[in-house]
Amino acid sequence: MLVSRCHGGDRAACGELVSRYQRPIFNAALRMLHQPEDARDVAQTTFLKAFEHLGDYNPSFKFYSWIYRIAINESLNALGSRRPLAPLDADEQADEAPGPEQRLEGEQMSRAIDKALMGIEPELRTLVVLRHFMHLSYQDIADIVSLPEKTVKSRLYSARQLLRDGLVQQGTLL
Amino acid sequence: MTTPEQLALIHAEIDGELDAGQRAELARSLLADPELRHVRDELRRVCTALDALGDVEPPGTLQASILAALPHTPVRGTRWAMGWRYAACLAGVAVAAAVIFTTMRGVRPAPTELTGTLAPAAAATLVDSATVSGQGVSGSASLYRDASGFSLELAVAADAALDVRVAGEGYTLAVNNLKNQGGRPIRVLLPGLEPGSGRIDLTFLSSGRPVGSASLRAGEK
Repeated sequence: MLVSRCHGGDRAACGELVSRYQRPIFNAALRMLHQPEDARDVAQTTFLKAFEHLGDYNPSFKFYSWIYRIAINESLNALGSRRPLAPLDADEQADEAPGPEQRLEGEQMSRAIDKALMGIEPELRTLVVLRHFMHLSYQDIADIVSLPEKTVKSRLYSARQLLRDGLVQQGTLL
Repeated sequence: MTTPEQLALIHAEIDGELDAGQRAELARSLLADPELRHVRDELRRVCTALDALGDVEPPGTLQASILAALPHTPVRGTRWAMGWRYAACLAGVAVAAAVIFTTMRGVRPAPTELTGTLAPAAAATLVDSATVSGQGVSGSASLYRDASGFSLELAVAADAALDVRVAGEGYTLAVNNLKNQGGRPIRVLLPGLEPGSGRIDLTFLSSGRPVGSASLRAGEK
């Protein structure tokens, strides 16, 4: 209903869609790209493309699968056009915002995971993002990446093991 | 030694997808193998840490900038309605073209007069080719160009199904689940690849891991 109202030119409905989906889309792009500015650009492009092509959206499918697919494709495009980044340093910014020990441990783990995540192939990273950050079912992920559910599972398993290897290498999993 | 089947059971356990029989099987394996217990503990910690990572608040100005960039006159109509509109336009153009052509050309020539005037479709020309090298994959990759654009011909033999990632400056394309062709060539269109795109890198992936690569040139800018 919201989608058809937005398609009909109701800007308030479009605003409601942005309000509802901007957080997961921005965060998915951020985990894919590791750069807030790039993630912001991808989120904006995702919504503008989605609104431009709302006529192509088939309401018998889930809207979030459709718009997340656009976000993932835009993130992969942004990665493809990006210059190679310097390897992430797990210790960078370690001195910033000192807080309680527990919080610091959480931040260190977050940085370590980001580093390990950026060390795996973007296609595998996509599956980790969709499963663990967007908390989607395997069926939804299979729809978004256009792969059989079984393939999604086996690739996600590989991705998790690569992340584990990366965290062990960083000394985070001891 | 941890087997792929045991690993699959651990991942399914993490996802909460084990049935009673599988749970019992995994429990037996864990009891008998300390190394497997270690692997399981580490994978569980990884997944717990992933699930526990919180969201980052999107920039406060994001919503406003999206809405500001929206056109004020929305595109209305469904894909089907648009399709009919295009079809009607095309039909109108075709009728008008036929009337103009008949008026200017006069009487239609005999079919034999046309013989020799129909040029064959332009053949694709080879732009570049390279050897595909790596572990578990071998063969060649060739870049062709014809009137409709670029296409990639892959003649590879591989141990397993492959994904191919095509990446150039500002260009990416994924070809998923490429079955082993035993070296027989298959052709893949590269829509959107412009002439003068420079170097095109091909990465061959098996189960997400790079197993081979090749580079081609689509011409200089």
